[in-house]
Amino acid sequence: MFEGCTIKYNKQDGVNVSIQVIYPDNSNGSHREMSVPIAEGNTDYQAILEWVADGNTIQEAD
Amino acid sequence: MALSKIDVANMLTGATPVANGGTALTSGFQNGVDPRPSTVPIIQNGDMAVSQRATSVTGITDDGYKLCDRWYEYLSSLGTYTFAQEAQTSGNAFNNGFRTAFRIDCTTADASPSASDEFWWGIKLEGQDLQMFKKGSSNAEKFTLAFWVKSNKTGVGQVNFRDTDNSRMCSGTYTISSANTWEHKIINIAADTTGAFTNDNAESLQIQWYLDSGSNYEGGATPTAWEADSAGDRNASGNLNIGDNTANDWSITGIQLEVGEFTSSTLPPFQHESYGENLLRCQRYFQHIVSGNHKLISYAHWASSSQITFILNILEMRAVPTIDYDNGNDYWAIGGSSGSTNTIDSLIIDGYSTNKCVGLYSGTAAGGTTGYAYYGFSDNASARLALVSEL
Repeated sequence: MFEGCTIKYNKQDGVNVSIQVIYPDNSNGSHREMSVPIAEGNTDYQAILEWVADGNTIQEAD
Repeated sequence: MALSKIDVANMLTGATPVANGGTALTSGFQNGVDPRPSTVPIIQNGDMAVSQRATSVTGITDDGYKLCDRWYEYLSSLGTYTFAQEAQTSGNAFNNGFRTAFRIDCTTADASPSASDEFWWGIKLEGQDLQMFKKGSSNAEKFTLAFWVKSNKTGVGQVNFRDTDNSRMCSGTYTISSANTWEHKIINIAADTTGAFTNDNAESLQIQWYLDSGSNYEGGATPTAWEADSAGDRNASGNLNIGDNTANDWSITGIQLEVGEFTSSTLPPFQHESYGENLLRCQRYFQHIVSGNHKLISYAHWASSSQITFILNILEMRAVPTIDYDNGNDYWAIGGSSGSTNTIDSLIIDGYSTNKCVGLYSGTAAGGTTGYAYYGFSDNASARLALVSEL
């Protein structure tokens, strides 16, 4: 689901508040991007947790 | 002359009512009772009228919500497809009031799928919307699923009800008898006294129309009674194999889920909604905000030297949504201060967001005045922004 994506935390007031999922660029240089809240009921967040459980790591915020 | 008794029976048949006589109405429906415990359709967008994301998508090779609202497809290494919201202008579905259908066309075939490959299409439903089935209780109700389907292929399709709270499943089959002809199908699913649907906003039930699969999903038997989930039973009877040829297509519309057991002669009519009612129910899961150039997102506030904040008051969604958007060079911008325009490099959902109100802030931005009000907008023809809270 997240093949080739950059996945990193977003920090607000020093706290991780969401996760940015940046898909690879299309041929025209644009890309899809998702900003996923750290919220239990959000299924994209659940998918990221599964991705982490598979051994992947979310990058720290810039 | 005042009537002491109204002849409703004759009024309903068109015959002349008999003054102070006749037969009083004793039934609301032909079989004596209103069969529906729910005032709105249990399934959203069963007529495929709402398609906020797109009306046609090509090159589909993976799973997701691609086209008509609420309808999901799981696709794992089993061909390439085009999905289209197909306008209906004739045929049996059209004649029964359906003007749109979800159409799947195979564009790259895979006639020999690997064992673990699968392709199914369907819907995921919240547990709190399914409590009228009383699943897991001694009063559990049967399910009836009805739909219109058309394909170039004849054969048998399998439909699975998968209780994802309790890892259970029950299935039925339908037969496409005539190629390229809309046919109405009804599948009855048994009641289940084991395993209640959790009464919350999370997924409890998947309804899956299997379209193709590898051998891992074909080795068992179609379960007509509820059982523990079994991969080998999921497409045990299906032989449509929509992925085996680029000539293949499969279309569906008019999907209704009813509480209880019905036949073609007792099935209550499809509950048509206005487009607005249908859209509102779909927006609990997906809200298209903007696409295209120079479309407003919301007011914005230049919060600090390099950060802009936006507040979007939205229709209440199922859960705190994901911000799903297309980004690129100069895709998003703000304006307002002395007519200036400043670009934004990314949009980020903040930690205060709820399922009713979403806060966004920019990654970096420059050129604005701290404390001033602005407005955010799309600045590229390919820009797109949506809120997603699907199951």
